[in-house]
Amino acid sequence: MNTKHKVYLIALAFASCTFSSCTSEDPVPENDGELITDVTLTFQEIDASGNSVGAPFDFTASDAEGIEIGSTPTVETVMLAKGKTYQMTIDVYNAVAGEDITEEIEAEGDEHQFYFLGSAFTSSPFLSYAYDDNGEELIGLKGIVTVQQSPGFNNANMQILLRHALDKNYPGADNPNFTNYAQAGGESDLDITFPVVVE
Amino acid sequence: MLVNKINSIYVCIVNLKTGILVTLTLLLGYKTQAQNCNLSIRGKIIHLENNEPIEAAYVWVLEAKEGAITDQNGNFTVKNLCSGTYTLTIQYLGHKEIKDTINLESSTFSKTYRMEEEALGLQSIEVHGHRDAVQTTTAVSALYGEDLLESRGENLGESLKRISGVSTFSTGNSISKPVIHGMHSNRIMIMNNGIRLEGQQWGAEHAPEIDPFLADEITVVKGAETVRYGPEAMGGVILVNPAPLPTKKISKTSLTLVGGLNGRMGNANLVHVGGSEKIKGLGYRIQGSAKRSGNVKSPDYFQVNTGVSELNLSSSVGYSSSKLGVEAYYSLFHTELGILSDSHTGNLSDLENIIENGRPFADGEFSYEIVNPKQRVTHQLAKLKSHYHISESWKLNFQYGFQLNHRQEFDKRRGNLNEKASLDLELYTNTIDLYVNHTHKNELSGTWGINFIQQANSNVPGTGVTPLIPNYDMLNTGLYAMEKYSKGPLEMEAGVRYDFSNVTTARYIDEELRAADLDYQNFSAFLGGLYHISPDLTFNSNIGSAWRPPNVNELFSEGLHHGAAAVEIGNPDLKSEKSFKWINELQYDGQKTHLEFTAYLNPINDYIYLNPTGEIYVSLRGTYNIYEYLQANALFYGFDFAGSYEFTDKLSAYLKGSIVQAKNTVEDNYFPFIPPNRMDWGISYDFAKDVDARTNKLTLSNVLVAQQKREPDFDIAPAPPAYALFNVAYSKQLNIGTNKLNLGLQVQNILNTNYKDYMNRFRYFTYDMGRNFLLKINYEF
Repeated sequence: MNTKHKVYLIALAFASCTFSSCTSEDPVPENDGELITDVTLTFQEIDASGNSVGAPFDFTASDAEGIEIGSTPTVETVMLAKGKTYQMTIDVYNAVAGEDITEEIEAEGDEHQFYFLGSAFTSSPFLSYAYDDNGEELIGLKGIVTVQQSPGFNNANMQILLRHALDKNYPGADNPNFTNYAQAGGESDLDITFPVVVE
Repeated sequence: MLVNKINSIYVCIVNLKTGILVTLTLLLGYKTQAQNCNLSIRGKIIHLENNEPIEAAYVWVLEAKEGAITDQNGNFTVKNLCSGTYTLTIQYLGHKEIKDTINLESSTFSKTYRMEEEALGLQSIEVHGHRDAVQTTTAVSALYGEDLLESRGENLGESLKRISGVSTFSTGNSISKPVIHGMHSNRIMIMNNGIRLEGQQWGAEHAPEIDPFLADEITVVKGAETVRYGPEAMGGVILVNPAPLPTKKISKTSLTLVGGLNGRMGNANLVHVGGSEKIKGLGYRIQGSAKRSGNVKSPDYFQVNTGVSELNLSSSVGYSSSKLGVEAYYSLFHTELGILSDSHTGNLSDLENIIENGRPFADGEFSYEIVNPKQRVTHQLAKLKSHYHISESWKLNFQYGFQLNHRQEFDKRRGNLNEKASLDLELYTNTIDLYVNHTHKNELSGTWGINFIQQANSNVPGTGVTPLIPNYDMLNTGLYAMEKYSKGPLEMEAGVRYDFSNVTTARYIDEELRAADLDYQNFSAFLGGLYHISPDLTFNSNIGSAWRPPNVNELFSEGLHHGAAAVEIGNPDLKSEKSFKWINELQYDGQKTHLEFTAYLNPINDYIYLNPTGEIYVSLRGTYNIYEYLQANALFYGFDFAGSYEFTDKLSAYLKGSIVQAKNTVEDNYFPFIPPNRMDWGISYDFAKDVDARTNKLTLSNVLVAQQKREPDFDIAPAPPAYALFNVAYSKQLNIGTNKLNLGLQVQNILNTNYKDYMNRFRYFTYDMGRNFLLKINYEF
């Protein structure tokens, strides 16, 4: 019994002192780098020759909570005027980590692309979209939105999808209203539906 | 025991089956009178040290001048004896001879003899290089020899599918977890050379961190074994054991090379064992294996990013003398594996799109490249084991194990974040076992011990993701005692155990520290028996209680699961799972027929499962299903069957099958991911000539898997249809000088069938692997 006890004590000492692993590390708060908390659509009216008309205005979708069950994102209603043409820029922001994700998307333009779906573009279209990015790559951070002169409806939905790691050469993938986007592979980094009202 | 060698004749028999040279000493004597001459002597011969049966021991009935050799269960029968007094002599190489005088009056005579090992040339009782095998009355199946050789190149889960009642729960082709009687992950236990493997087994996509090449035998215990092995051994235990270390001068090397066409897989393993000449009892083994494979091919397309890169090492050195045995062991497992690209979904509509498509969107092409999403896992284990013979019947054992498991999971992310793991866990485990064995020349033997498990899990900071599970510390203390009684054809076994477990956790969520301190305790017990109805027929039955405390992920999970477009929410109020498993096995070992039938009943109280809440979580990224951990009472039951029959010397056939049912008895519905009915049969033709014992065999086999009709109420896709696969294997053994060369050629899924397996989580995204050609070479020198 005595020997047994000794061996046991030695064993415990061995276990606790040999490796610095007897307790876990203190936890460290993580800033969720992947998180997108704010998406802002900025509209700038332009005339036929592409010159800016009036002041720009914006609409935001935000979700400050990150992964928190029960909360839903706040999405503003996009208000546009009939027959007008706008330049739309999209800004993507992570307020938790204080990061501008727009730059990252631009830097990885070869693997990212926005698609514009929903009834505003597809079933009862009164909007049309054309990519107008700074570089060669079709991304959709910048684009031209045209509102019909006399649409059949005055409200619809605009779904903004950001696809990541898609095959940009897939036939049809260059269409901003490509409903078969899933066939080009990849996954959705953003999927927001904005209500749109035209007046 | 007396060792009298008077009037002895030495006879040498070469046992062709085992290749063991058995020296038999036969004694001559006198004759007694007899009347009733229809009696028989039955008995069982086992090792004194560990109660394992001794095969091919020689029994001689002096007066009758009749003998018998024990079968693989250690049983023997000498028939047609008249009543009277007989002198029995029992001999087995390297063991002390047993001489016993018995009085035979009735035909029910039966006795168990325990043989004591004697070191050749030394007057000692030490078992040189003997392995501590499982001693249990529960149903046990093992994979070894030719079958193990045939499975080389496969991961642990896939290899074990060869045992009836064992299937896999997998995530694609590279990750598979063994399932015993419908239980997997933290409900079964894997032992790496005697140490309980501690990794992140709680995850469905976390494969066991072990290299099957380190084993020369893999044993599956199908019963509840909490008493022997500690919490979590509810559904069964898998023992991955290397061969015992040599204790005399020897130098043996074995090289195995495996090549597979599908995925262009290459796998090599080298083992070297040696024994010292100078220091008697000193031996060592060193083993290393490497594996590389690329994108596997389903019949119509390549599965993108499904490559595997693996590097493993193990080594051990041991010394044993008459009283003391010491062994040090180290193993390293390192893997980097790709996860099918299209399985990483951004949100629920991505998931629905690919499920509807039924396969990845792109056809892909072959590549060895492994990109995100991927996993990188390194597991290290160091062990020190020692035993000391206090006396002839008492042995003191000590074992210490250290494990470090480092798991990194990389997701498809943006920019620099791609270089960072999104899950980065370091798990340290220390285990201490201290126990005594007692073995007596009467029929009682047992083990009493104490067991400590200490665990510390840390999230490595800098992932840029709120950790899925918190940092935690766990401490478990267990006290146990088991006793076994053997008499004649009967063995009875019983054991009890008490465990106390404490977990403390801490994690920041949204800058807020959340901590918990939880205690669990449990009593478990088992009772088992084994009865040799006849030398060919054995029945065993075991009823055991088992438990496991809820795992940290079940208590505290909070995060996004990209493979399932799900948010999983833990529940800190979960109670321990408690189960009873009653398992019965009937085994028949005839000349031409071998049959094994296992039936079990396994009710579980507070079974923890992941339940879809039906709610969705909405974010700017899209929507996700919400799952939560719940508890309900469950009833598992089922049957396993394995049989083989030799039609002629050349032609034989086998059949294996299993059925498992798992019901939620509270909700009266079924649990997800329970294996569907499964059957595997085949025929073999042996080309070997009569005098040639070397393998030269062709086997055609067929695997039939039914559709899972017992589906849960909610699943993101229905169970895939039934499928049938055909495989062919040819194996041949050659001698090169005194060295052995084993060659194997296999074709799996000959017809290149498109199929999905219910137990593969990637059935949502892809068809399984198509046809594969494999070449396996094993050379021993």
